[in-house]
Amino acid sequence: MNCTNPHSCFSIIPVSNSSRKSNPCSSTSRSSAGNHVVSPLKIESFPRMRPMIPHRKGFRLCSSNGHSLQSVPGGDASVYAESDVKYIEQGDPDPLVYSESAASESMLSITVVGASGDLAKKKIFPALFALYYEDCLPKNFTVFGYARTKMTDEELRDMISATLTCRIDKSENCEDKMEQFLSRCYYHSGLYDSEDNFSELDTKLREKEAGKLAHRLFYLSIPPNIFVDVVKCASIRASSMKGWTRVIVEKPFGRDSESSRELTRSLKRYLSEDQIFRIDHYLGKELVENLSVLRFSNLVFEPLWSRNYIRNVQFIFSEDFGTEGRGGYFDHYGIIRDIMQNHLLQILALFAMETPVSLDAEDIRNEKVKVLRSMRPLQLEDVVVGQYKGHSKGSRSYPGYTDDPTVPNDSITPTFAAAALFINNARWDGVPFLMKAGKALHTKRAEIRVQFRHVPGNLYRKNFGTDLDKATNELVLQVQPDEAIYLKINNKVPGLGMRLDRSDLNLLFRARYPIEVPDAYERLLLDAVAGERRLFIRSDELDAAWALFTPLLKELDEKKIAPELYPYGSRGPVGAHYLAAKYNVRWGDLSADD
Amino acid sequence: MVGHSRPLSPVSDSDSWPPVIQPPMAIPHCASSSSSPSPLHPPSMFSPSSSDSTSGGRARFPRFHRPSSPHKVSLRIHGTSLRNSANQVAMVEVEGGPNKLGSPSPITLAKDEKSGLLANVSSASIIIVGASGDLAKKKIFPALFALYYENCLPKQFTVYGYARSKMTDSELRDMVSRTLSCRIDKREDCSEKMNEFLGRCFYHSGQYDSEEDFSNLDRKLKLQEGGEACNRLFYLSIPPNIFIDAVRCATLSASSSRGWTRVIVEKPFGRDTESSAALTDALKQYLEENQIFRIDHYLGKELVENLSVLRFSNLIFEPLWSRQHISNVQLIFSENFGTEGRGGYFDSYGIIRDIMQNHLLQILAIFAMETPVSLNAEDIRNEKVKVLRSIKPIHLDNVVTGQYNSQTKGDITFPGYTDDKTVAEGSLTPTFAATVLFIDNARWDGVPFLMKAGKALDNRRTEIRVQFRNVPGNLYKGNFTSDAEESNNELVIRVQPDESIYLKINNKVPGLGMDLDQSNLNLRYASRYSNEVPDAYERLLLDAMEGERRLFIRSDELDAAWAIFTPLLRELEEKNITPEGYPFGSQGPISAQHLASRYNVRWGDLNLNQ
Repeated sequence: MNCTNPHSCFSIIPVSNSSRKSNPCSSTSRSSAGNHVVSPLKIESFPRMRPMIPHRKGFRLCSSNGHSLQSVPGGDASVYAESDVKYIEQGDPDPLVYSESAASESMLSITVVGASGDLAKKKIFPALFALYYEDCLPKNFTVFGYARTKMTDEELRDMISATLTCRIDKSENCEDKMEQFLSRCYYHSGLYDSEDNFSELDTKLREKEAGKLAHRLFYLSIPPNIFVDVVKCASIRASSMKGWTRVIVEKPFGRDSESSRELTRSLKRYLSEDQIFRIDHYLGKELVENLSVLRFSNLVFEPLWSRNYIRNVQFIFSEDFGTEGRGGYFDHYGIIRDIMQNHLLQILALFAMETPVSLDAEDIRNEKVKVLRSMRPLQLEDVVVGQYKGHSKGSRSYPGYTDDPTVPNDSITPTFAAAALFINNARWDGVPFLMKAGKALHTKRAEIRVQFRHVPGNLYRKNFGTDLDKATNELVLQVQPDEAIYLKINNKVPGLGMRLDRSDLNLLFRARYPIEVPDAYERLLLDAVAGERRLFIRSDELDAAWALFTPLLKELDEKKIAPELYPYGSRGPVGAHYLAAKYNVRWGDLSADD
Repeated sequence: MVGHSRPLSPVSDSDSWPPVIQPPMAIPHCASSSSSPSPLHPPSMFSPSSSDSTSGGRARFPRFHRPSSPHKVSLRIHGTSLRNSANQVAMVEVEGGPNKLGSPSPITLAKDEKSGLLANVSSASIIIVGASGDLAKKKIFPALFALYYENCLPKQFTVYGYARSKMTDSELRDMVSRTLSCRIDKREDCSEKMNEFLGRCFYHSGQYDSEEDFSNLDRKLKLQEGGEACNRLFYLSIPPNIFIDAVRCATLSASSSRGWTRVIVEKPFGRDTESSAALTDALKQYLEENQIFRIDHYLGKELVENLSVLRFSNLIFEPLWSRQHISNVQLIFSENFGTEGRGGYFDSYGIIRDIMQNHLLQILAIFAMETPVSLNAEDIRNEKVKVLRSIKPIHLDNVVTGQYNSQTKGDITFPGYTDDKTVAEGSLTPTFAATVLFIDNARWDGVPFLMKAGKALDNRRTEIRVQFRNVPGNLYKGNFTSDAEESNNELVIRVQPDESIYLKINNKVPGLGMDLDQSNLNLRYASRYSNEVPDAYERLLLDAMEGERRLFIRSDELDAAWAIFTPLLRELEEKNITPEGYPFGSQGPISAQHLASRYNVRWGDLNLNQ
């Protein structure tokens, strides 16, 4: 399953075990008795240089990328002494025999700051447990919850256990595993701006670490106004002495170019760039990960991937519910900051980037920055904003956005936005990239739609009827729910006539892969532990992203642009159609045959 | 562009003719709007008009169809039937040019039924020569019935069986009725329809080389025929040695004097360049090129028809359709049974003539041809000829032949080819062949086109496999769970059974790692389309009646096809090349794999993950 491929982890597989279906995350050296005898282990040869980190015991450094993690310049490799990193040349004729005794014990401490919050409960702890279940966490690890609430370890465990589940296909020993996991969870109560409290945490952590080489990962699941305080206290008081210390930061990363830059500057006072892991959980989604695979591991797509064949690209996010009484945070940010500037723009960058030199994080992020910097800032006339209003269906009535008690009555925060963006480079000049994001719409989904151009001189023109737009090819990547990839093609309807229709070349993940798709947070946590930065946002990416949206956001604020109202549960404001029509586009999600 | 309001007009201005085309959604192909309650109301149909009367009736213009309902009109355009609500229609029939049979080119104008001028309908007589044969029973009669059921036959039609056996009309009907069936999705009034259809079937016994017998047939036909034009379609379902006799007698004694006469000819069209040319010459003594309909029923198969639709109505395939992206193309035909006591005919032809030189080569030509000027028959066939003429004759080195041996599996023993009593002892006839062809043009230079055809193999299928090149500088080289060689994209068009189209793509296996596997972007007909795929013969018979020649083989195509294979066939025979034995039910001779690997190809159908 995960990390199943030897190539995807540090490929240490036992010589005897040639099965590719083994679960390498559950490294063979991991044994319940704690007696690590298995070896010798063989290093598979790699296409390029691969560093080995010896400080692992019973723990495979997996990442979701399946290649070298230490190739990142200036990365955490610096925490290891030069001599600790062994480079294995490609095709090394001597399989490196690697026995347990050669490695010294290492340890991972994960501290979830804001442990009593929603995200921690719903996503972070369950993701950690899933990683534990899959044997993707190091043998020695502890999880610390940190928050202001007074709580005992037991109370934390109770709280967490309510949200843990096993995957449907892996429920074996589920209870046991949960118990084991929970026993590694601890709680420390403290203030977010108290260096003393973090010192106490440090003491507790050290106790658990017991002199092992300890790495520390802090997950900041807290409101933005206390980001910097926590980072300050944690890094000053609770950094790892010998191992690495990394901090995962959640959005919002500021609310415009200035505030974002200010946040970065503050973070960098206490952390170096390679310690900061800005999470955008959309980048951890299966189909977003798959986007690069589709483009770069198949011959058939890349030749089509340009203005020559692609007419427009659409990034669509819709939720079928509103703020539902939790609009406080949202009202301050709005849909553009909440969804577009980060999630959709990140997907766009992955979609449109040039082929990177390699799959290394820096190479990919370099290409993403290039795309972002090739885009012109959004113009007000290329944007439509909307806000949902109350709507009654039969006896049920759905509240409008401003009916939410946590939202000011006169709020003009957009809950819907549509935008047209352009990339001024050789590949994409003139191709509209449309984005649409909204709450309280008629469906829940996130998808990428690639609409291709008309067939020039189409021989079958007559068979399509009048609307040739309905006869263009379209590639759809359905990110959620119900992951799927389908390519709409024109096909002859079987029969004696010559009737054409649009049929799908279809890949429905549910049907093809009878395994549960892991949550985005699992992948991202795993990568952060492994030091794989590909799916995290680098400072310059963030800058470039804000540069595109800041002028627009400022203008919306200054001119107090009133959003177009749309009924709860509708398809959104009609202005979105006009915007698309201005660029000769139809929203693919609203077409009849979708 | 008007259809519905077009006034009655003479035929000749066909240039101004394209009628308005309504989106042809959800309209039955032939059936007139009112599924006519009475058998007397099937629609009449008419051939396309043509402004070029000498070129073999180029179906350059839409075809029209006359439905029975006075208020609805179906238009059939390139096989697509359309309907509009007007009640005026002009119908047109121009066939042939200088007619050797001395009949004038008939022009039929049918007018609005309400205007009372509807006497001008044409009748069609379909004569199946060799009516007692297997093909007639299994394919031709059932196909005609299906067309009748779908209201695709003219209102006035009769079906005549012609053969040497003595039989009465009702004996023929008995025989025919046993093989008729209704489509699964269309069984309403099925037995009623069958009886109506059988009521239009007659039998005439006669010798194939007797002009007199055909004259008698002619007299009988005339009794049934009525209306302005009486068209006749002869289907020759007889052994090749009597082709010419039957054509001579039929044309001299039983040609239509007031309508077209067309002859459908079945393979074999000779056994090499010379004999094929001789056959064509002989046919042309009695027939014009535009009267000859050489059938290759593979061209009537749904997915072969769809090949052009895929290529030319989608943007995404054509850019990939060349040596730049395609590493090889494979055309695979396999049967999982042998000659089963019917090897007589086969033994004198062999698999190369029986399958490759016609069926597979025709598919190849459609696959590889340049974009035609239009979808008209002549434009398409011009492009096919060009491709065929760009193919180098096959060299013996590039061929593997095989013959199946007997094989015992458990208690069952499957006989070898030469165990068949109808096959000559010591026969060297190949029952399997694999070959590599190259097309010397700008698009395909250097791309191997592999063909494989065999009997008594491990499965039954016909498919087209397009294997794409490696991804240059593949970033994910290290991530494939399987052999990277097998990770190339592949487009598979499965012609039969279980029609489907799928594109193999590399995909990330969901999960925390980065494992890639091959998954299919899949279109399976059985899940997508609820209607039954019509048999190839239905389409071809319908087209022959409509004068649509796109799916029939023109003489020059046939010449070009034989030119590719004749030197090879001669060499095989002169050198008495012994075919490689392979066990009944196996994957065929191992040399086929060596042949492929010589060109760095693996047969797609032998892959584990097909």
